[in-house]
Amino acid sequence: MARSRRRRLPRGGNDFQWCFSQVKGAVDEDVAEADIISTVEFNYSGDLLATGDKGGRVVIFQREQENKSRPHSRGEYNVYSTFQSHEPEFDYLKSLEIEEKINKIRWLPQQNAAHFLLSTNDKTIKLWKISERDKRAEGYNLKDEDGRLRDPFRITALRVPILKPMDLMVEASPRRIFANAHTYHINSISVNSDHETYLSADDLRINLWHLEITDRSFNIVDIKPANMEELTEVITAAEFHPHQCNVFVYSSSKGTIRLCDMRSSALCDRHSKFFEEPEDPSSRSFFSEIISSISDVKFSHSGRYMMTRDYLSVKVWDLNMENRPVETHQVHEYLRSKLCSLYENDCIFDKFECCWNGSDSAIMTGSYNNFFRMFDRNTRRDVTLEASRENSKPRASLKPRKVCTGGKRKKDEISVDSLDFNKKILHTAWHPMENIIAVAATNNLYIFQDKIN
Amino acid sequence: MEVQKEAQRIMTLSVWKMYHSRMQRGGLRLHRSLQLSLVMRSARELYLAAKVEALELEAPSPPAPCPQDPRLHQAREAEVPAACPPPDGEPPEPMDAQEAAEEAAAPPRAAELPARCSLRPARVGRKRRSSSNPSDGVDAGLAPSKKARLEEQEASAEPPGRLPPASAPAEGAFPNLARVLQRSFSGLLSRGPAAAPTAPPARDATPACRAADPVLRVLVRTVVAF
Repeated sequence: MARSRRRRLPRGGNDFQWCFSQVKGAVDEDVAEADIISTVEFNYSGDLLATGDKGGRVVIFQREQENKSRPHSRGEYNVYSTFQSHEPEFDYLKSLEIEEKINKIRWLPQQNAAHFLLSTNDKTIKLWKISERDKRAEGYNLKDEDGRLRDPFRITALRVPILKPMDLMVEASPRRIFANAHTYHINSISVNSDHETYLSADDLRINLWHLEITDRSFNIVDIKPANMEELTEVITAAEFHPHQCNVFVYSSSKGTIRLCDMRSSALCDRHSKFFEEPEDPSSRSFFSEIISSISDVKFSHSGRYMMTRDYLSVKVWDLNMENRPVETHQVHEYLRSKLCSLYENDCIFDKFECCWNGSDSAIMTGSYNNFFRMFDRNTRRDVTLEASRENSKPRASLKPRKVCTGGKRKKDEISVDSLDFNKKILHTAWHPMENIIAVAATNNLYIFQDKIN
Repeated sequence: MEVQKEAQRIMTLSVWKMYHSRMQRGGLRLHRSLQLSLVMRSARELYLAAKVEALELEAPSPPAPCPQDPRLHQAREAEVPAACPPPDGEPPEPMDAQEAAEEAAAPPRAAELPARCSLRPARVGRKRRSSSNPSDGVDAGLAPSKKARLEEQEASAEPPGRLPPASAPAEGAFPNLARVLQRSFSGLLSRGPAAAPTAPPARDATPACRAADPVLRVLVRTVVAF
């Protein structure tokens, strides 16, 4: 069972003053599809930040050690390792191409000098080992320095190879490949608090794996109906409880969350808890069902709460109360009257993620026009910020943005119709202990830090 | 009638999206198909409700729903759009065995299909089509006979900004599906989203109501084909 890490106590009021820190990625207006970031994840210490993109690549950034000679670098993130995690594949049986897009990355807790992470595309999960090499052995007997075999007759004496320092090299190697276990598209992976197992979820099934075993997995949830014609909902996200290794939750396209206890039965088709908020009949529309679909579910670090994201809002649930959330935060309610247009341009299907800060006092999620929203759970204040190149001066404070919903547009406000729906922030991550956030805006990764940090 | 038009527009849009989603990399996504079919169902319900209202205003007896389910189940097995007389002895398409086809078929099935008592026997089996359709090769997969029938009933309608038919049918896993979608697709589009908004209100009388039926049937057939 994981002990909770020592956390810095939140300052009174959580008065964040977010400042631009860095931006990674091309400035080009023409965005290559392969460069679009599809997942962002800090590791357990926050020293490493991993991103996955549509081209199947993983880029890992490492935080520089605070340096007295360069006080302003203040822990910048620089590229540590880049590797191709997944390649496009072809399923010959179904004549379908399998996209190489990285759907999720999840870090494993660090146990030795190397770092491990799980990355997944639609069908295959891979365990990657990222290790450093800063020494090289020299003075082999059987081969030259350039690797050529030495002529045996010339070897007249034996020597012991010695280790010499070399330029740091970071190598990524695939240690396990967990394949062929999912018929449908994988949407989530989650490492268990026992650090030995993890789950992977697709539209209809959830499988439990052991990190050491690749040739089999246990199916723990199966909601595929005997008759596919009766299908009414699919699994949209799943996550293990941060401390209780027998508990996990999964969300559905109908806006419900089921909490399951693996001790109760081998197949967790019957939930232990069922979280659903009764629908407000006055807000029904053509698109009610689509916008109630949950796109992300995340436990709080404490394990007491969980947060769900649907199209227009974020909800915080107390695990002890199933009939309604304890908090509901509107992300972009002004879009409710535009659902038809959003259906036409496919934006209504966008899957936004959400995240907690280290102390669970604040939550963050993305929106359109490169806006992202932060909600302070204690003060009930919320703020809209923007990730843009214009606000990219080093340590420049981010100015809160406001969307004008009707009536007279004030200066500095932006009207709903001027929002750019191609600039969407679907993936964000919050450092587990400090006030540093990573925001993925299409092909750029923005890193913001709290001024007082 | 605005409601009816809007509902029809959304239905057409949904069909188009479903067709289009087959073309994307990674294949059909179950969640997306389910969402599209849910919208289609809502739109259809709204459309039918509005239509029933309109019919009630004109004539007292609304169309009676036939018990369709058993036949529909059978039709679904064949993975092709089916009409009232179920395709008997029609060998299942190879794609039946594939879950991908299954999953595509499932979501729209969640929507109950409407009354189809007056369906034309529009059997679209692969074998049947090739034998009954001499001009198959001509129109890049479009079946002229079916199209002609649709267009007959659309005689009163003007062909507004008609979108070009989708490019050559995917000769991938589901060539039939592509042809069916194209057929129904092009039929729909001639009265689709681009339908003249300035059409006189008189148009909302009998011709539109009558013509809407084949549109709905075509739509439904398309959905079943998944």
